[in-house]
Amino acid sequence: MDPISRQAILDRIRKATAGGAPDVAGSYAGLERSYVRSGKLGADDRIALMIERLREYDAEVVETAPDSLAEAIQEQLAASGRRRFVAPEGLPAEWLAEGFEWKIDHGLSTAEVEQAEGVVTNSFCGIADSGTIVLHHSAAEGRRIISLLPDWHLCVLRASQVVETLPEYFARCSEAPVLATYISGPSATADIEMTRIKGVHGPRFLHVVVERDEPR
Amino acid sequence: MSHPANEGHPVLDPVLAAPFPQAAFTVLRNTQLRKNVAHATDVIQGKRNRLVAEKTDWQELRSAASALRTHVLENLGHYLEQFEERCTAAGGVVHWAKDAAEARAIFLDILRQEQASDVIKIKTMTSAEIQLNPAIEAAGIKAFETDLAEIILQLGDDEPSHIVVPALHVNRTQVREIFARKMNLPELSDDPKELTNAARTFLREKFLRVPTAISGANFLIAETGSVVIVESEGNGRMCLTLPKTMITLAGIEKVIPRFQDLEVMLQVLARSATGERMNPYSSLWTGVTPGDGPQRFHVVLLDNGRSDILARRGERQTLKCIRCGACQNTCPVYRQTGGHAYGSPYAGPIGAILTPQLMHLEHAQTLPYASSLCGACYEVCPVKINIPEVLIDLRAQVTDKEREEERRFFDPMYLGMRIANFIFASAGRFRLAQWMGRLGLRLFTRKDGWIHSLPSLGARWTMTRDLRGLPDETFRRWWAARDRKD
Amino acid sequence: MRASLFITCYNDTLYPETGRAVVRLLERLGVEVEFRSAQTCCGQMHANTGFRSEAYSQAKRLVRLYQDAEAVVIPSSSCVAMIRDQYPGLFEELGNQELRDQFAALLPRVYELSEFLIDELGVEDVGAYFPHRVTYHASCHGLRALRLGDRPFRLLAKVRGLELIALENLDRCCGFGGTFSIKNAEVSSAMLSTKLLDVQKTGAEYCTALDNSCLMHLGGALHRQFAAMKTVHLAQILASTEANPMEETT
Repeated sequence: MDPISRQAILDRIRKATAGGAPDVAGSYAGLERSYVRSGKLGADDRIALMIERLREYDAEVVETAPDSLAEAIQEQLAASGRRRFVAPEGLPAEWLAEGFEWKIDHGLSTAEVEQAEGVVTNSFCGIADSGTIVLHHSAAEGRRIISLLPDWHLCVLRASQVVETLPEYFARCSEAPVLATYISGPSATADIEMTRIKGVHGPRFLHVVVERDEPR
Repeated sequence: MSHPANEGHPVLDPVLAAPFPQAAFTVLRNTQLRKNVAHATDVIQGKRNRLVAEKTDWQELRSAASALRTHVLENLGHYLEQFEERCTAAGGVVHWAKDAAEARAIFLDILRQEQASDVIKIKTMTSAEIQLNPAIEAAGIKAFETDLAEIILQLGDDEPSHIVVPALHVNRTQVREIFARKMNLPELSDDPKELTNAARTFLREKFLRVPTAISGANFLIAETGSVVIVESEGNGRMCLTLPKTMITLAGIEKVIPRFQDLEVMLQVLARSATGERMNPYSSLWTGVTPGDGPQRFHVVLLDNGRSDILARRGERQTLKCIRCGACQNTCPVYRQTGGHAYGSPYAGPIGAILTPQLMHLEHAQTLPYASSLCGACYEVCPVKINIPEVLIDLRAQVTDKEREEERRFFDPMYLGMRIANFIFASAGRFRLAQWMGRLGLRLFTRKDGWIHSLPSLGARWTMTRDLRGLPDETFRRWWAARDRKD
Repeated sequence: MRASLFITCYNDTLYPETGRAVVRLLERLGVEVEFRSAQTCCGQMHANTGFRSEAYSQAKRLVRLYQDAEAVVIPSSSCVAMIRDQYPGLFEELGNQELRDQFAALLPRVYELSEFLIDELGVEDVGAYFPHRVTYHASCHGLRALRLGDRPFRLLAKVRGLELIALENLDRCCGFGGTFSIKNAEVSSAMLSTKLLDVQKTGAEYCTALDNSCLMHLGGALHRQFAAMKTVHLAQILASTEANPMEETT
């Protein structure tokens, strides 16, 4: 790296912006933000919207009570017709349903992950307005590779983790994530004559189990 | 058939490209292209408009996005240094490239260190701006594009014509032909689903095998030293997760202050670019995370003329651009010509202002005139770049430059403008000019009172339009007569 | 109410009937019209082609001329846009404080025709009669720079006998763009042919707008094609009554 270029560029920038506000933080804090920063929907409507958006993207969504979560996961796995699943290190043990081949990701190789037919993860948050699932890749959400290579992804989303608007998600982040993936439906392309084709790279099948706050 | 848009390979180098009127003249006869472009832009615009109509705080978001980008540019040095510090602390290596040549050299240096024999790429227009692929290929390294549109273009020996949907000028029959030939799939149909599957298979082995990746960046976050990539297909996720080394190229203007600022930027970007509330995949990473993703990470910050644009008060707003392509989708000029006519990776309204400025107005001087100044672009720009204002400013700069060239003095347009100004300076002269004009044009006025054919510059009008002959009595003569009568 | 008419250089020379219609219309509404003969051009053509200092000298002339005018009415939205959007920058860059003050004082008194009728006179029904099928094209400057909104439609709605047929893709540029129509004549013509598809689809007898610049471009092509449709400035429709129907021109 040429330190001369770095200095030259910064000098030119400094000269170009000379006479600007010296108090960067103050001027940042003073920026107008009159856009919508919180939603209006009650909890039930919020979840309903999240599910509606997910289904618009052709994700399979089921709701479940907290005490039937493991069962709901088991049902989804059984219905998939698949056997070999990969799971993050920190995934709750009760979610590792019986009758399937589980590979826990203690540092699997790419080839090993490529062998898996599906993956189960937790999630950080759901954003109802856009049907977005947010992964911060914590221990229960897993490394990025395991929710990328398998063709089938089951994601657990707790109702208490669902917000209505994008700004509310940011408000929930006490600190910025080091890694994050935002999933708003399976991959798609419209590059050929603007015809939307789903499922290019990444899991083509997305299943979401929404765990309600209270039992129904 | 292998050059869907142009006779010969499209030239997206502003130094070598034909002037816009000339390039447009060629491309206007390509009716397939015009049909493809009109269809594609209609689809995205329709989706965008529906979502914008539903977003009750759309104008507030635009204001916030514009204010945020303006603030960043005013304090660009501060935010870039902060990004560099945080990214480095997180395990990234930050490089600074003052121009395209230096950027290419940095890339080749890193690739040599990695002993890379091939690289996989996430779509980045910035790499087209610095002409990176030819440099990589010349060094004996294969560069594989992984974005579906970019593969279509790479295999079809073609060039991008739109910032977000680069192959929108190519239709399914043309894609089928390219894939059948280059992927050796003679039985391939032209069904988009089948074509996409062919691309998926073709790319999978590369994602799993190639250890070095190159990306651009939608946003650099100063507060955390993170990079954000916004995409639809998942090839981005593949490239930023599986390889061992990632090299990210980003214009210096890509930085935003804080992680939280994404709450504004992502909302306006997705709706403007693809007409979605949120694009399928967005990824954020910070430096190097042990055990997850590339363990060697470089960022190449590119100036290449941006600091010059920053210095010009009226033009600085050009750098607010977040590369959404909404201006291209709405532009009535772009609709007719597509992107290649602009002779640059950046086409349409943003291209018309960015390209000439990056070229220091030494090339691409016809681009600021490639607009009817209708203002549709300004209306849809999520960061409120007043593109017509910048276009007019650049026209003044081009004209000022030309004034210094003696030969311009006898150019008919130039001469006409100077004479017109002289005439407008006095009502007496103006009346005389009106009288002379009426007399002179009488020669060309036919029995129906209309002019069907004119010489010189006038022929540019009459090639497709008649002109009504000048009436015998101007308004001011009628008024003067009426005044006298009273 | 005394209105000073800025006819615009091209209306004066090419479309005097529009000026006559504006005078007839305003006088019918009880407005006293004056015409300052020293006027020539607002400078738009020069400004948009990059001849800034020339544009400024014309701008200066205009501002000085109308210093004491009660209201300046202009039947051309692009010229009003020039004054509102570009004059500030020109005076800021090339003018002195006195001229900047003069301009600032004049600015609120400058009106595009439909603005003057609706906002200043508070009138929508101008007593017009025009028994024809008409379609309206929204000129870009009027639509986006001046944000005229529904003003022209409110005026058209009150014209007796007039059948308004909606134009599809109303907000798409016709392709005139001033010197763009010459410098990029091919693209301009391509945009024109796309626009004419929508215009002719209406089956209207007349295509109208608030700018003769667009109409010169649209009408020029219609005439070339021996199309039955004609173009006419909105002022001429509004000036037309049973007793005094619109002047027929070729």
